[in-house]
This record gives sequence, C-alpha cells and structure tokens, in this order.
Amino acid sequence: MVNSIMLIILTAIVILILYDMRMFIRNKEPARVYALYFFFMGSSLAVSLLLAAGKRPVAPSRIIEAIVKMIGIVE
Amino acid sequence: MGKARISGFQLYMLLTGFLFGSTVILAPALGAKNDAWIAIIIGGTCGALLMLVYAGIALLNPSKTLVEILREKMGKVLGNIVGVLYIWFFIHLASLVLRDFGEFICTVTFPETPMTVLIVIFALGVIYGVNGGVEVMGRLSELLVPVIPAFVLIISVSLITTNDLTAFLPVLENGMGPVLNAAYNYVTFPFGETVAFLMLFPYLNMKEKLKKIVLVSAVTMTIINIIIFFRDISVLGSDLMSRATFVPHLTSLLFPGINVDPLLDINLMIGGGAKIGVCIYAASKAVSQVAGIDDYTRITRAVGAFCIVLSIWDFDNILGLFSWTEKIWPYYVIPFQIIFPLVLLILSIVKRNRPSEESAEDG
Repeated sequence: MVNSIMLIILTAIVILILYDMRMFIRNKEPARVYALYFFFMGSSLAVSLLLAAGKRPVAPSRIIEAIVKMIGIVE
Repeated sequence: MGKARISGFQLYMLLTGFLFGSTVILAPALGAKNDAWIAIIIGGTCGALLMLVYAGIALLNPSKTLVEILREKMGKVLGNIVGVLYIWFFIHLASLVLRDFGEFICTVTFPETPMTVLIVIFALGVIYGVNGGVEVMGRLSELLVPVIPAFVLIISVSLITTNDLTAFLPVLENGMGPVLNAAYNYVTFPFGETVAFLMLFPYLNMKEKLKKIVLVSAVTMTIINIIIFFRDISVLGSDLMSRATFVPHLTSLLFPGINVDPLLDINLMIGGGAKIGVCIYAASKAVSQVAGIDDYTRITRAVGAFCIVLSIWDFDNILGLFSWTEKIWPYYVIPFQIIFPLVLLILSIVKRNRPSEESAEDG
C-alpha cells in the first residue's frame, strides 16, 4: 500500500520540479538557488524512491531518540 | 527586509491559530489526568513567559529575523550553524503537524483515503498560501482563526446536558509530580514552538504592541484549553480520556442526533494550516537568508516537498508518533526553545548596553 502511495508523491515531486525549472530558467536564477532546490527535492526523491521500494531508511526521529538516550536524559 | 507588514490583530490571530495547531485534536497535558487543568494553568503561565522571551529578543533586535540575530550575536559561522539547526527544527515541526493531520483525517474522517494523498493535498494548499507571503498568511488567519473558538464553544455548549461536573475531582490525587511534568510538556507543545515566530515578528507594523499580543494569545490559548479540558473530562471521565487517542473527536461523537465531527476537522485544518504554514515559511525564509537568496518563494515548494516526505518517512504508525512526541520531544526541543533563545536574549541585552557604557566612559 505504502509503495503505491509513494508513487503519488514521486509524481507530485516531478511535476513540481518541471514547473519550477521553467520558472527558474525564465528568471535566470543564480546557481545557489538551483543547488538548494535540488538538495531538498533530491533528498525528497531519494527517500520517496527508497520508501516506494520498501526499504525505509533510518528515520531522523530514531537518530534523535538515540542521541537523547546517549546523552542520558531518557532511559 | 521587504515591505510586507501585518497588523497586530493579524499576528494575534496567526499566533492563536499556531498555538491551537494539533492541540485541536490532541488534548494537551493529559499526563496529569484529572489534574490537567492545573498543569494547563502552570504550563500556560510558563509558556507565556517563554513567549515573552521571544518577544523580548525581537524587540531588542527590531527588523531582524532569527537568522539575522543569530549571525549578528554569535558570529557568521556559529550563527549560520545554529541557523541550519533551526531550519531542521522548523521542517521537522511542520512534518510532525502534517503527520498529525494525516493520521487524524485518515483515522476519523476519510478511512478509505490513503494518508499520503491527504497530506499531499493539504500541504500543497498550505504551500500556496505561504508563497503569497506574510500578509496573505496574516489575512487568512484574520479570516479563519476566529472560527476555532466558535466551534469549540458550539461543541462545548451542545454537550452541557450530558456531563458529570465532578469528574475532575479529587484534586492532586497523585501529587504534584505528574502535574509539573505535564505542565512542562504543555510549555514545549505548543508554546515553545512559537520560536518560529522570530522569523515573522519583524513584519509587525506596530512593534510596541508585540508583548501585549503575545501575552493575550497565550492567555486565549490557556483559557480555551481549560474549557476544552473541562468539557472533555466532564463528558468522558478521567479514565476514558487518558485512554482515548483523539479525545476531542470522541467527545464530539456524543453530540445527540447529528455528527459535529466535521467542525473538529475544520478546526484542525485551520489550526494545523496556520502552524504548518508558519513553519514552512520560517524554514524557507531561514534557508534563503543563510544561503543569501533574495526571494524565499523560490525554495518554498522544495522545502514543502521535503516536509511531506519526512512526515511519512519519520514514523511507521500513529503509536510510534505518539510515543516519540511524548517521550523524546520534550527533551529534544530544549536547545531550540529554551537554551538558544535565552543565550540570544542575554547577548542582545549585553550588546545593547555596551555602546552606552563606552560612550559614558568617553564622556
């Protein structure tokens, strides 16, 4: 179920990228805009693909939980 | 800084909507069970003080956003590092609220619709609003947020015949420990989250009203949460309330004759929308300032897309989400909501006093 649903997100992301690229090229945006845009969109795409493939990467909340436990605040 | 400006009333409405956020569906301070009203009062008072700290930082650094203040007070390198941490915090907060929204609507209102679809549609609407700018967000809040207390009142009054007004007794049955713990949780969720408004306070047109606006919205939030608590506990009782997942939803189901649950959905869409909108705005604005981009709207959609993916990626199910927010969230937010703001306040006070001391020595 999750896999097929993640394809919806992938499609939405691709449509957004195509829409934004048209605007970026027209406005001649600086390279740092492209870099940041593709950092966020690329991360979203990568995670979406992994989720769609059924291989969930370690969630940030688990990493935060491990850090908080490592500090010793929570047992 | 652009020419965008919001009025005091718009900021008050945006703050109140933000504070309602997910608390519309998740009754706060439930850890204290039938003493939650005491926790709400204590937490509300401390929350108001914390919000006054944020207002103090904004007033000591007029026309500067959080990232600009961080860079000025901590230096460019350290300021940018802390700024990046805040960007993460805002994105994570937006994703958590998106997940709350998705889980609630998927569980209660549209059980046949996939949660991802609901989250994507809702987030796209919010991103569209955020791209309109602070003024659009302010006007939308001015228009929509007054609906929240109205619907809370309608549901509360309509259930007045089916309640036990002594359900909150006995007082302090388990001592002050659980009350203080719940009060602290109530400070971190939702009051401490208003640190995101440090990216919006510079746009207030009348800065001298900032402290009053912050205080009034904190009092409004506390009063309405107390009303909601007494409504829920008098209708459901302490035991059922502590076991229910979505307490206000369960309460609204007891309305005789018709289903008033859609009122709760509307409240969630308004409150959640305000909160997600402010978080995505704060994150996008912070990213653009750290990277030196003029227009934050260039990356709003990218940040929003990341929030959507993070909201689905972060937790396997609703139980994982609730467990994490209950056990880890109150400690994870300490640097973002308490330590960094206090450091900034102290540095702002020290740096404001320094030139006058030097000039006095010169004289």
